[in-house]
Amino acid sequence: MTVVPAQQTGGGGGSSGLYDVLELVLDRGLVIDAFVRVSLVGIEILKIDIRVVVASVDTYLRFAEACNRLDLEAGPRKSPGLPEIVGEVTESGARGKSKGALSGAAETISDAFKQSREEASERETESRPRARKSTATRRKEEQE
Amino acid sequence: MSTYVYGITAVSHPALPEGMGGVGDPPRPVRILRQGELAAVVSDAPEGLRPKRRELLAHQNVLSEIGAAGCVLPMRFGSVAPDDDAVTGVLAERAEHYRERLHALDDRVEYNVKANHIEEAVLHHVMAGNPEIRALAEANRQSGGGAYEGKIRLGEMVAAAVKDRESEDGTALESALEGAADAVSVGPESTGWLANVSYLVKRETAEDFLAAVEQVRKDMPHLEVRLNGPLPPYSFVEPGPAEPAGTVAGGAETGTR
Repeated sequence: MTVVPAQQTGGGGGSSGLYDVLELVLDRGLVIDAFVRVSLVGIEILKIDIRVVVASVDTYLRFAEACNRLDLEAGPRKSPGLPEIVGEVTESGARGKSKGALSGAAETISDAFKQSREEASERETESRPRARKSTATRRKEEQE
Repeated sequence: MSTYVYGITAVSHPALPEGMGGVGDPPRPVRILRQGELAAVVSDAPEGLRPKRRELLAHQNVLSEIGAAGCVLPMRFGSVAPDDDAVTGVLAERAEHYRERLHALDDRVEYNVKANHIEEAVLHHVMAGNPEIRALAEANRQSGGGAYEGKIRLGEMVAAAVKDRESEDGTALESALEGAADAVSVGPESTGWLANVSYLVKRETAEDFLAAVEQVRKDMPHLEVRLNGPLPPYSFVEPGPAEPAGTVAGGAETGTR
C-alpha cells in the first residue's frame, strides 16, 4: 500500500497499513469549522479486531483454557523461565541480521514517500517477507 | 461545486502534486489554491463521497505526496468547503496560525506506534510472576481441566494480571521511545491497544527513532509492536495539552497518562 514502508507494520495484508492509520486519517488531522465533513456512517465496520481484556466470564474461561494449554505444551514449572532465555539467545544471535534490517529501514524512509505513487497496486507489499507474520498467524490460530 | 480539502501547505513547497488523482471515481484531479504565503491542496468534491477504502487511500496518498517534499498540515478525511473562495478565505483569515504550525512541523514526520501483547508470551510472564496463579492452574489441570468455579477464579486472576501488565508495558514502551522523538501524542485508550502513541520525529533523526523501536522489540519480545510512518503529522496539527506548540524536548509533557 501507500502510506508507509509496509514492511515496518506488523503482519496482515496490504490493508493492515490502512487499518493502522485509519484512526489518524479519520480522527486526527486539521478540522476547520467553516467546512463540513462527509458522513462517516458505516465506518464502524473497520474498527473490529478489538482486543481488550474485558472483565467477563467468557474472557475468564478463555484465559483459564489458555493457561492449561500453556502448561501442557511447555511442561509444568519449566515454562515460566522460557521466554527470557529465548529472548536472550535471539538477541545475541541476531545482532548481525538486525543491523542489516535497520539500514534497510533507513532506505525505506527515504523511499517511502516516493513509492506511494507507484504502490497503488498492493502486490509489492504482499510479496515482501514479513518478519512478524508468523506471530500474527499463530495468534490467529490460537483464537480459532 | 464544493471543494474537497486535503491539506494546507506553504506556496514555497517545492513539489505540489497538481494534477494527481484525488478522491472520487473517476479520481478528481488535485488543484492548488494559493493565498498569500499559503496554499491549499484541493480537488472538486464528488457527490455522495463516502469513507470507503479507496477514498481514504486517495486522501492519504495525496498527503503522502505533499509530505514527501515538504511540510503539510493534513486535514481530517472528508473536509469539504462550499467552494474555492471559502478555502482561500479561511487561509487568509487564519494565515498566521497556519504559518506558525507549518514552521513548527517543518522537517518533521509522524510515526504511529501500536502495541499489543502476544497472548501466549504474556501468559508465560503472568504465570512466571505469580505463584498463586501457577498453583491454581496446576490444581485445575490435575483435576482434568478444573471445575467451572476454579476456571473462573483462575481466569479472573489471569485477566487482572494481564491488565496490570498491559498498563505497565504501555508505559514502558512509551517512555522507551519518547527520548527519540520531538513530541508525543497519546491516542485514545479505548481502541484495543495497550499502547497507541504517535511520535513527532525530525526527518534527519528518523533512523534513531527506528533504532529505538527495534530496541523495544528486542527488549520486550512479548509485545507485538506495529510501526507506521513516516506519515504527515496528523496528530500534531493543533497545539494541545499533549503537544504544546514549539515543543522541543520530548517527554516532559507525557505525564498525563
